[in-house]
Formats: sequence, structure tokens, C-alpha cells
Amino acid sequence: MTEFVRTKPRGMQERVYRVLLHLYPRDFRQEFGDAMTEFFHDRLARARAAHPIVAPLLLWPHVLLDFVRNALPARFDSMLRALRRSRTRATAGRTPTIRDSRRKDWMLTTILQDMRYAARGLTSKPAFSAIVLATLTLGIGATVAIFSVVNGVLLRPLPYAEPRRLMLIEHVDPYGTVSEPEFADYRRQARSIEKIAAVAYGSANLTGGGEEPERIRVSRVSDGFFQILGVPTQVGRFFTPDEDKPNAPTVIILSHGLWQRRYAADSSIIGKDVIVNGNPRVVVGVMPSRFDYPSSSIDMWVPLRLNYDSLWTRNNHYLTVIAKRAPNVTFAGSVAELNALNSNWTRDYPDTYAPDKPVQVKAAEFEDALVGKSKPYLYALLGAVAFVLLIACVNVANLLLARGEGRRKELAVRTALGASRARIARQVLTESALYALVGGTLGVLLAWQGVRFLIALAPSTIPRLGDVRVDFPVLLFSLVLSLGTGFLFGLVPALKAAPDASGETLKESGKAGGQQGRGITRLRRALVVSEIALATITLCAAGLMLRSFANLQSVDLGFRPENILTMRVSLPARQYPDDRAVQLYQSILDRVRGIAGVRSAGTVGELPVRDGWSSWSILIDGAPMTSVAGAPAAMPMQVSPGFFETMGITLARGRLFTDADRNGAPIVVIVNETMEKMLWPGKSALGGTVKMLNPQSPWATVVGVIKDVREGGFLVEPPPSMYFPHAQAGLSAYYWPVDMNLVIRTQGDPLSIVSAVRRIVHELEPAAPLARIQTMDDVVAASVSSRLFSTQLLAGFAILALVLAGIGIYGVISYGVTQRTFEIGLRIALGAPRQQVLRLIVGEGVRLAVVGLAIGIAGALAVTRSMRALFVDVSSGDPRTLLTVIISIGVVALLASWLPARRATVVDPMGAMRAQ
Amino acid sequence: MAGIATRADRDAPDSRIPLRSIDFLILLMLARSGDRHGYGIMQDVAEHTNGSIELEAGSLYRTIRRLQDDRLLEESSRRPAAESDDERRRYYRLTPFGKRVVAAEAARLRRLVRIAESARILAPEPAR
Repeated sequence: MTEFVRTKPRGMQERVYRVLLHLYPRDFRQEFGDAMTEFFHDRLARARAAHPIVAPLLLWPHVLLDFVRNALPARFDSMLRALRRSRTRATAGRTPTIRDSRRKDWMLTTILQDMRYAARGLTSKPAFSAIVLATLTLGIGATVAIFSVVNGVLLRPLPYAEPRRLMLIEHVDPYGTVSEPEFADYRRQARSIEKIAAVAYGSANLTGGGEEPERIRVSRVSDGFFQILGVPTQVGRFFTPDEDKPNAPTVIILSHGLWQRRYAADSSIIGKDVIVNGNPRVVVGVMPSRFDYPSSSIDMWVPLRLNYDSLWTRNNHYLTVIAKRAPNVTFAGSVAELNALNSNWTRDYPDTYAPDKPVQVKAAEFEDALVGKSKPYLYALLGAVAFVLLIACVNVANLLLARGEGRRKELAVRTALGASRARIARQVLTESALYALVGGTLGVLLAWQGVRFLIALAPSTIPRLGDVRVDFPVLLFSLVLSLGTGFLFGLVPALKAAPDASGETLKESGKAGGQQGRGITRLRRALVVSEIALATITLCAAGLMLRSFANLQSVDLGFRPENILTMRVSLPARQYPDDRAVQLYQSILDRVRGIAGVRSAGTVGELPVRDGWSSWSILIDGAPMTSVAGAPAAMPMQVSPGFFETMGITLARGRLFTDADRNGAPIVVIVNETMEKMLWPGKSALGGTVKMLNPQSPWATVVGVIKDVREGGFLVEPPPSMYFPHAQAGLSAYYWPVDMNLVIRTQGDPLSIVSAVRRIVHELEPAAPLARIQTMDDVVAASVSSRLFSTQLLAGFAILALVLAGIGIYGVISYGVTQRTFEIGLRIALGAPRQQVLRLIVGEGVRLAVVGLAIGIAGALAVTRSMRALFVDVSSGDPRTLLTVIISIGVVALLASWLPARRATVVDPMGAMRAQ
Repeated sequence: MAGIATRADRDAPDSRIPLRSIDFLILLMLARSGDRHGYGIMQDVAEHTNGSIELEAGSLYRTIRRLQDDRLLEESSRRPAAESDDERRRYYRLTPFGKRVVAAEAARLRRLVRIAESARILAPEPAR
């Protein structure tokens, strides 16, 4: 075979042709590449001679078609040729030469050879391998763990039939939910909807079965609810349409959790009775364990049983509506139709709807409604952990590059013996792939445990968490991720591994010097700069999340949550008509106040921060009866005397309730400042009067104004609120609630008095279950639990990123010191003070950090901008946070540079120069 | 693609026919004109088929490689005069074995033509 002489391509088109020739296999190219280029040149010349412009253009389609027709078949030809040749050679008994090994390059045996070589490399330096594997395991493991959560919560399709056709329907404020007549209208008239159902929430007392009475969450659902979701029962059946009729006997469907917990998962429960609120109810079905709509805390479903002939008033909004769209109807189309239907209501029902507050549908695709809130948090976490993985890859790449430096002699010898650069590069890549696969496997095992840990720690407000596991898509992702990271950190060392063709390396004294060595050092520095930039971005994001959380927590809730025990007491309603419940609660409170360590106690109908609220229409100051549309509204609360004091709510004006405010005494009410500002602007509310929007309700006099309480939690503005004495609630506020929350302020740990309180309640009413026993601090913490969770994780990743980047800086600077021992020795010998040498080296590290910070800050500004929905009271470019991040990275960079620099200052100049 | 044949088989021209038409064309042109480079072969083929077969570089050189592997043609060490040549051009010529194969194929085709003539499909042409 003649020498492969590269012809110099003339002109642009020939250059392009040359590039395209790479589609052919190498042996073909070597043999015919020149000839084909010449061929092309001749064709081009002839074409130009025919028509200067047009003909060359017409030539290209033929040329390209030629490539398409022949390049791939030529590769097959090459493979078969080599196969044939080796087989005949084997039968002929010739010994393979170096040139033969070049021809066998592509065969499977070389892949196996590479793997064996890589495995040897892995085990020959156990300490090095351990560091690399540890870094990879952490990086890949963390990424796989977070991805499992993202996959389980966000990516997996919902477990319902045809989830894309499902939607959740509510109304825009001030209405919020849907009233019975509104639901009936939608149900009757909406054509874009195939099936629609309404959902209401409640609780009930479950007794019997020899167990403690239990307070359970009940969901009342209209006919079609289960059919819309399409999840079959585990045992038994759904409700029939007849069971949704007003006078039908109540049947129930149990949740899997309740069935296991209380009825020992006994399938013969179907058809049996269960005592709910004192009444026997027949169980017709049990749902499977993963069915958790409307929430995972629902224990029981019962039919809603709306009476379509006599619906509740239009103004009573309490239903949530789910619907399955008709096939081929879009979400937007359905919303438009519903809004068209309700656009007439303002006209048709002027008493209910004010013209300046028209009814508008607030709909969401089911998936958005269920997991939408978690999306930004989870994606932020995925981004952060991806950054950590990238930084880990950079560190491993640096480690491999450093080791590559150490093996240059060995590689130079191999090249001299005939191994091609590509072969060596492939071997390094195989080694990287092996590291990555082993690290990936260990990482998956770590993730498996990590996921369990995450699920245990994670707040229950993150939906679908129970279904998160390391399953097939996650494993597939891990495989791709491992190979990808292997390629990522292996590519650069592989490309740099093969020394250049000259014998330069062999002649060197063993230290990396010369052009290639310098190139590698530059590369390593560039890698470290990128690490610093990535760490900067992660730190900025975490810092802003931390600031947000702190800002959130500093919001004044309007009460003092420390050392308060709360629990919900549910009396059996039938035994407590009218105001009998008031007396019982008074007895409870009297006795509770006698417990040692109790400072004060009270009751309230809905616990601030945790429980939802209603909004009732009212009249003030003797105003005449008017329609709902024309009347103001406020949030009602029923409280006992002692409530405000126990919670630490501040009185602004007037007085708080006392025992004198009882049934028969003058009707009183306390309002908050928001309500005072809204309804008595510019003056005091004291002496004003409030009544429910209904002819029978008496006027209540405002005797006190309290400072606002954030009933909805940190982020929700306090609504206008009115507080009625529990003893008078049946007169002034429609009814006396039988379920109340106890709030008890204690001297020490609130949980220490739980059993004492339980004893008191059971003595007074044995059939009353106690539920939701928590401290007020826990209630407040729970309201921000998912934010806290993701903030903590993000902060953890950011610190990990910083540590890894610090290690990266240390590695590069330290290596530089080793490389330049001779130069340092020389400087010292020539009289440079050691401090100057120190400054020189630390200066390098600082320079890297500065460049990395510059890029990182720019990147951080972009990234945090995209996250700004998650931040509270802090801008995405907050200077204080940026400054803190800069200082942190600066300190780490200084430390990471100073440690190896110290080593440099104790260099013995004579020894250093002699070693050269 | 021919399978792996034993030594004896491979030396018999008859084992290589019928040739692919493209192979035959290229070998025939080489038989006619002696040593040619790739572009020249393409030109010859185009000329003799009245432009209906214009080989592109990929097809041509793949075929040349195949014919080389089958030892029907080889690279020529002779070069025409320096001025009309490019150092980098490769010239090809028939091997003796290739010559025998071309002859065998041509004979086979002539037999077929004779059958066509006797069936009056083709008007007989007098031998030149």
C-alpha cells in the first residue's frame, strides 16, 4: 500500500468534500481518500468548464446521493473484509503484527481488552479510585434520589383514567368554591363536559368495634365521582345513582387506610354496618391503597345526596367540582363554555351576585391542581443537584487529568510501540465509563436508601410522595446519567491522554512540561473556574431561599405560638342540642385550668393558621336588609372567654370576653382591625353593631377591637374577622358549634399535660374523640413545611457544592506547587522572601476564584430570576446575599490556596533544584 | 459478496461469472485501455454507454476495492508521462486472472447473443 499522503484541498468545495469523506471507514479513506478528492476535483473542473456557476451546483446532489448510497455499505464492507482476513490468517497460522492490531481496532476483542485494562487501572491505585468513586457515588446518588422524587410526583401520569381530560373547577374570589344551585346549573347545561361531580368535606365520629372513638375525615361526593376518576374499588362497589338521592339510606365507602387500621382488612366488612356519628351505616366498598382523592387523609366517602328540587341557597359556596371533559374538547374550550354559562347569573340573580364581582370559573387541569404547587420547588432542587453533579464531574476530570500526567511515560512507550492516539483515547474513555458505571451502581444503592430517608423527612403537603420509589424509569435514567457523566469527565482526559507523536515525552525527566503540559494546566484551571461558577449559582439560590424563609418566619402572626397545646374535641352532636355544648366546654376549661403548669385556656371553633375559614354576609350599624350582593362579609369565629389571652392576641381597644357574656346577656362581638378599617373607616368600631344577613339575627354590639391575626398563615393577608362568644353563638351567629379546639398555654412543655387533658375530657364525655393534638409551634411550622424542606435540601446541596469546589481549587493549586517546585526553589535561592512566594501562589487561587465568581454571579442573576416566584420579600438580585456568597467563596478559595502555598514556602531550594 | 472460497475454486475464472454488469464494464474498459486512473475509468464507462452510466466516486472506488479484493484488478506501478499526471493519482490495471475472467464473461455474453440471434430477436451481425 502506498503512503497515505494528504492532498491539500483546493477551494471551499473540496474542503467540504474532504470533511464528508469521513463518512467512509478509515481504511477506505486511507486507500482512496486522495483519489476520491482528485476525482471530485476533476468533476468540478469539468463542470465549471461547462457552465461556470450552475453546473457545479447541479453536481452536489449527485455527490451527496453518492455518499448516502455508499458510505454505510462501505463500512459494512470494511468490517467483513477485516473479519475475512483475520479468519484466513488464523487458519494460515500467521502471527499478528503491530499493523494487524491496528486493523483489528474495531473488533469486540479490543473492547474487552479495554475493559480489562480499565479494571486493572481501577484496582491498581485503590486510594485514587476510592476518591473518584466516592465523589461519583455522592453526585450520582443525590441526583438519582431527587430525580426519583421528581419522577414520582411530577413526571408519572396520574393514576386516574384518562387524566388529561380531568379538571378541577372552582370560582375566582370572592366566591371561592361552588354552591349547590351553581353546580346544578353547570351539571345540567355544560355540553363540553362528559361527567361532573361535586365534592364536600367534613368530619365524623367513628365509634364501635370495641375501639376508641375516632374522628375521621369524610368526603361527600355526588354521583359520578368515582367514575370520573376511574379507579376501581379494591373490594365491593361504587355508589349507585339511586344512593345519591336525598332519601336513600346512607352507604359508605372506606379508605384503604381506615379499613386496615380499624377493620383488620377484613373483606367481609362489605354489607356490614359501621357506626358513624351514632348511626349505623352500611359499607358497600373499600378503595385501594393508593387512591387518595381528594386527599390522603380522607377516611371515608359518602354520597352527597343533593336534593335538586330544593337546593341550598345560591350564596352558600362550599363545593369543589371535578369534571371529565368530553373527548376532543380542550381545557380552554371547556372553561370558556362554563364562563359563558355563568355570565348570565349576575343578571338573573342580582340578589346574590354584585355586578362588580362577576362569577368567573377558576379551573385547573387535574395534574396542575394536584402537583402544581410543588413543581417550582422540585425543579429548583433538581437543578441544584445537577449542579452538584457537574461539579463532582469536574473534580473527577481533574483527578483523571492529574493521573494522566503521571502516566505520560507509560503512554508514550505504548504510542512508540504502535498504539494509535484514538486507541489510547478509547482506553481512557473505557476507564472513565467503568468508573462511572461502578459509581453509578453504588449511587443508585445510595439513592435507594436516600429516597426512603427523603420520604420520611418530607412534609405530607408534597403530594404523591407515597408512590415515590426507585423504579424502572429511574434506573434507566441512572444508567444514562452514569454513562453521560462518564463521558463528560472522561472526554477531556481521553483527548489529552495520548501524548504527541514526537519522542519529546520520553526524553523528559518525568515531569510534565512542554506544550502539552501547559495546555493541560490551562484546561484544569478552566475546569476549576467553571466549578466555582456553578457553586456560586447554587449558593446564591440557596441563600435567597434561606432569606425568604427567614422573612417568612419574621412575619407577625398576631399571636404568640410558644408553649400552647391545641387539640380538637368533637362531641356527639345528637346529645348536645342548642347550647348544651357550651356548658360542657366550660366545665372542661374550668378543670383544665386547674392542671399544674397551665397558665390559661380557651376554646375556638377554627384554629388560626391551620383550619380553613368561611365568609358570612353581614349588616352593620342598623343598615336595612339587603341582598347578598350588596352586603359586606367577614370571617366568623366562635371563642370562649380566655381564648384571646391564651393565644397572646393583643387588644387594641375596648375589652375582651368574660363569663358575663352568656346566653341572655347583651349580644356582643369583637372585631379585628382589618374589619374596623373596612367597615368603620376613620373611626373606632366600638359601639358599632353587626348582625348576620338574615331577619331573625339580633344586632351584636362591638365591645372590643383586636390586632389582626394571620388566620391563613404567613403568606395570607388577614381577612376581616368577627369573634362571637361561644355562649351566644347560637343567637348571634346561627348555631352553637359542638366541635371546638382547645388552646392551653402551659408553663413548660405543652405535650406534658396531654394525658391529663385527655382524662378530663373523657370523664366529662367518654364518647368524644380527641384529634389533632399538637403544639401551636408545630401547627405554625407545618404551614411552611414544604418550603422549609426544600430550603434545607437546597442549602445542603449548596454547601456540598462549595466544599467540592474548594477541593477542586486545592487540587489544582497543590498540583501547580508540585510542578513548579524547581521554579520556587530557584526564586527562594535568588533571594525572594518566602512571603512573596506564598502570595504568588495564593494569588493564583484568588485569580481563579475571581474569574469563577464573575461568571457565577452573572449566571446566578439569570437563574435566580427564573426562581423569583419562590422568594419572599427579597429580590432575585439581592445585594446582601450576593455579597455573602462572594465572601464565602473568597474565604474558601483563600483557604484552599493557602494550604498548598504553605507547603511551597518550606521548600528547600537546593533540594528542589537538585531533584530536577 | 462472495463467500470464503478455497484456493482451488478461486483460481477458476468460471467461478467468478456471471459478473455484475458494473464490474464487467469497468474491467472491460481497463482491458481496452490498459492502465487508467479512477476518473479516466469513469470517463471511459460514460463514453461507451453514451452517458447513461456516470459513475460517482463512492460507487466507483467501492467497486474498485471489491475488484481488488477479488484480485481482478490491481494498482499499476507504471505511470504515463509526468506532465499529464498528478503524483497523487492511482492507476489501475487488470490482473492476468482478471483478464481471464473478463474473457470468460464476454464469451458467456456472446453465447447469449447467439441464442437471441437464432431466435430472431436480434438481427445477426456479421463478424468483424
